[in-house]
Amino acid sequence: MNGTDLVALGPLLALGAAAVVTLLSIAVRRHQRATATIAGLGLVAAACALPAAADVAPRQVTALVRIDDFALLYIGLFLAAAFATIVLAHDDLRRRAEPHREEFHVLVLLSTLGACVLATSTHFASFFLGLETSSVALYALIAYPRSGPAHAEAGLKYLLLAGASSAFLLFGMALVYADLGALSFDGFAAALLAGRGTPALVWPALALVVAGASFKLAVAPFHMWVPDVYQGAPAPVTGFLATVSKGAVLAALLRLFVALGGVERPVVVWTFGALAVTSMLAGNLLALSQRSLKRLLACSSVAHLGYVLVAFLAAAPVALEAVTWYLVAYFVTTLAAFGVVTVLAGGDREADALDDYRGLFWRRPWLAALLTGCLLSLAGIPLTAGFLAKFYALAAGTSEARWALVVALVVNSALSAFYYLRVVVAMAAPAPAAAPARRVPLGAGVLLAVLALLLVGLGVYPAALTALIRATATALS
Amino acid sequence: MNESYVSLLVLAAVALGLGTVILMLNGLLGPSKPTASKLDTFETGNEPEGDARQRFSIRFYLVAILFILFDIEVVFLFPWAVLFKDYVAAGLGTFMFVEMAVFVGILAIGLAYVWRKGALEWD
Amino acid sequence: MSLLWLVLLPVVGGLLALPLRDRGARWVALGALAAALALVCAVWSAGDGGRVADLSLAWLPQMGIRLHLALDGISFVLIVLTLVLGLLAVLASWTEIRERVGFFHFNLLWTLAGIVGVFLALDLFLFFFFWELMIVPMYLLIAIWGHENRTHASFKFFLFTQAGGLFLFVAILGLVFVHQQATGELTFDHDRLLDTPMSEGVAFWLMLGFFVAFAVKLPAFPLHTWLPDAHTEAPTAGSLVLAGLLLKTGAYGLLRFAIPLFPQASATFAPYAMALGVAGILYGAVLAFGQRDLKRLIAYTSVSHLGFVLLGLYAWNEMALQGVVLQMVAHGLATGGLFVLVGMLSERTHTRDLEKLGGIWDVAPRLGGAGMVLVMAALGLPGLGSFVAEMLILFGTFRVAPVMTALATLGLVCATIYALWIVQRTFHGENRGGWSFADLRAREAGVLAALIGALLWLGLYPQPVFDVARAALASLQGVVSGGHS
Repeated sequence: MNGTDLVALGPLLALGAAAVVTLLSIAVRRHQRATATIAGLGLVAAACALPAAADVAPRQVTALVRIDDFALLYIGLFLAAAFATIVLAHDDLRRRAEPHREEFHVLVLLSTLGACVLATSTHFASFFLGLETSSVALYALIAYPRSGPAHAEAGLKYLLLAGASSAFLLFGMALVYADLGALSFDGFAAALLAGRGTPALVWPALALVVAGASFKLAVAPFHMWVPDVYQGAPAPVTGFLATVSKGAVLAALLRLFVALGGVERPVVVWTFGALAVTSMLAGNLLALSQRSLKRLLACSSVAHLGYVLVAFLAAAPVALEAVTWYLVAYFVTTLAAFGVVTVLAGGDREADALDDYRGLFWRRPWLAALLTGCLLSLAGIPLTAGFLAKFYALAAGTSEARWALVVALVVNSALSAFYYLRVVVAMAAPAPAAAPARRVPLGAGVLLAVLALLLVGLGVYPAALTALIRATATALS
Repeated sequence: MNESYVSLLVLAAVALGLGTVILMLNGLLGPSKPTASKLDTFETGNEPEGDARQRFSIRFYLVAILFILFDIEVVFLFPWAVLFKDYVAAGLGTFMFVEMAVFVGILAIGLAYVWRKGALEWD
Repeated sequence: MSLLWLVLLPVVGGLLALPLRDRGARWVALGALAAALALVCAVWSAGDGGRVADLSLAWLPQMGIRLHLALDGISFVLIVLTLVLGLLAVLASWTEIRERVGFFHFNLLWTLAGIVGVFLALDLFLFFFFWELMIVPMYLLIAIWGHENRTHASFKFFLFTQAGGLFLFVAILGLVFVHQQATGELTFDHDRLLDTPMSEGVAFWLMLGFFVAFAVKLPAFPLHTWLPDAHTEAPTAGSLVLAGLLLKTGAYGLLRFAIPLFPQASATFAPYAMALGVAGILYGAVLAFGQRDLKRLIAYTSVSHLGFVLLGLYAWNEMALQGVVLQMVAHGLATGGLFVLVGMLSERTHTRDLEKLGGIWDVAPRLGGAGMVLVMAALGLPGLGSFVAEMLILFGTFRVAPVMTALATLGLVCATIYALWIVQRTFHGENRGGWSFADLRAREAGVLAALIGALLWLGLYPQPVFDVARAALASLQGVVSGGHS
């Protein structure tokens, strides 16, 4: 450990320090706005440490983490998403009038820290540490509001299932270690290549790791918790859960599979292909009959993870580019969608039922337009980021000539358009007697405007993001 | 490589089998004359009193969690203390000291927070 | 750059119209479309009749995607049709649409922008971009301003076209991928992809992907079921745009992309496609005279008329193709005109039920007269545009497939039946509904007169259309030659 290592770890250190400082500030004095500002500044500080880290990248810091352009890109993404969460939550927490709303920010910072560790992880130990740091903070975040049983129920559900999935993951790691004596991804891969693995142990081990990760990613058939948790968690937390937590696990999984050369193994391809197809089908079919927007988005996220897995299965550089593109588009879209849900909440309840959205076009035209943009982006319609994302997923599928997956993706996209449109139609329906609308607070308004610009900007001018991703995608392969 | 696992498997099977067989033999061969007091919950010989499913004050949990937290801290401190001299000899003394100071410092901030929040007061 | 402006004018116009109310939005829409019309005419007349304007800018260079727009004769004809019908759509909805006028025109103009883009794009990615772009605003037009059953109809429209579109997308990606494997070049450019070497099987499947998407839009016989619902439930402007323009994008796609990109596979597929065309002609015509709803009836006649287009396209000789281009224009004007007429009629009577209508001629002779002419245009009366078009298609097809042509001719007979049925049921007979209302106003009469005038012109002197399209058609045929006889 020397100075350069510290520079490389700068973003992580800054984030950790930010969490501690925020905690300390709460101990000194409770003040929601001050705490939120400190947490936000912490995220900004971590982001400011990124260029310095990029200068020394790629760099392996201990056996546990590797700071390279890929990791830094994902860290930047997570930091941005966390910032958006804090901005949105500021309004949400105030509306709920919770007595202790300051600790929320500490938890967001900690969960983000775990996610960032996952993105840098090259070792099962850091994989697990990152995952747990991220998840443990999330349990509390999901159950944060104490106003009703729904939040506690969602938190408990997530706790139990995430605990079970961690157990799977740990058991898989233990089996790998028992058989190969390696916990680092490279060591694992080298041992496999050397033919030292016992098939009867290594494949179950990998299956367990995949199952554990799939729980977190909510890929079918490990998706049962998603609708309840999405619905029960406060909207900003749902957005955070849908983006940062899943993106981080996907980043770590990507690293593991690039190291292992997963796409060259038919078993792996078949497994992930099957997961992708079941996810798409399960997510979309479940979404068809939802009456709650949050549950609908939850089911749609299951389907979207299925689409990402199609991109995941391409050869390394293509897969990295496609998956990252998809994630960026998905982050922007999801955060914007849950942002709209957040600011539409009124009184003591969130705007969740589809009926809350009836006639939204005529009551709140801007928010309705943004939500429409998000839904169209999720459906993959041009002019939105989601269109390019779907293009990348399909291009990745065709580049490996995986026609079955490509056709499944296409059929599911058409299917999914149905329920996204249902929401749009509801919004375009004649407005019912309007309840007095809450004003959109300044911070959330600016955030939503930025997200809207990104949503359209990425769809109209994708070249810049592609260039950025391509510059980092070489880091892994 | 595989042979060593086979022996492990045999060991597991024998251990499991032996335990099962002995317990079953016990149940089959041993005399069984149940009485009311024999079947009752064992409470150091006294008559059991009240319901087993009692609710405890939430504060017990808080204390228990805090205890575990600082308990684990000591678990980390212990090997560090044992090995510290070796590190000093290897020229890594400052680094190890700073690292542990950061660790303890973070926990101290946590303690301050908990204290300030009033979690250490019983009422 | 002027081509980009051609797409941007309606887009900008739509954005400007969005916050406006009533008159303001209508005038902005008219202004934007008129400006675009003037622009396209200026661009065309500056050229020499070939591909006059060609714009190619880097868009997503990493994936070989370019902003490649070009205007040739076929595009020009169809864009003029688009803009003219767009103007008429704004005029036709002048009194019909009273709610959320700004948003209505926004959707209308964006649909038109997508259609213009489709006719201009020569990069396959860009083409698909515009292809999808027009679906959503069209969907909203039906879903918000449509008639009673609009939700169901708009869903059906969206799902059919979206599913078809995605197959197109996969086929495009497949083609690009095959091209990259063969040449090492990653490109979506139509011109570069033309001579992609590939095996027969691959070509056939990719061609089928293109065909399905275009056949849904066209619509070809088994994939047409969204059309009657969508046309019936859409507001007048929506029906006008659907029938007059959206269907043409399918035909255009076949003409520009599906056949030239896969000449060999298309030749193999031609008999089946032509059979589908004939099936559409007869099926649409037969179903048309089983309808009670006037709009639904006209919708089925569209299925029949577009069957001729499919037939002519796969005959692929100059005469048939000239007929196809003319049929696209004539059908757009005639059927569009009929929908406008029905819109005016139901604005007055609040019904489209043939059982309730009748005796309208006495009440509103000008309306009746216009209706008579438009119906005659639809059945293909000599002297009106559709006649020339259908005859050319039949002549052209007869050389390739005499049996199919003979069957298709039956469609003309059926057309006479349903056309007379419309006239009899609506305009003649006794006035069972006790109707009494004002005849056409000046604005309405102007719209219908423009359409009828254009149809007459096409019927009596179609040469300008042929001249404009000739060079483009010849170059398409040059591309395909070798594939077809």
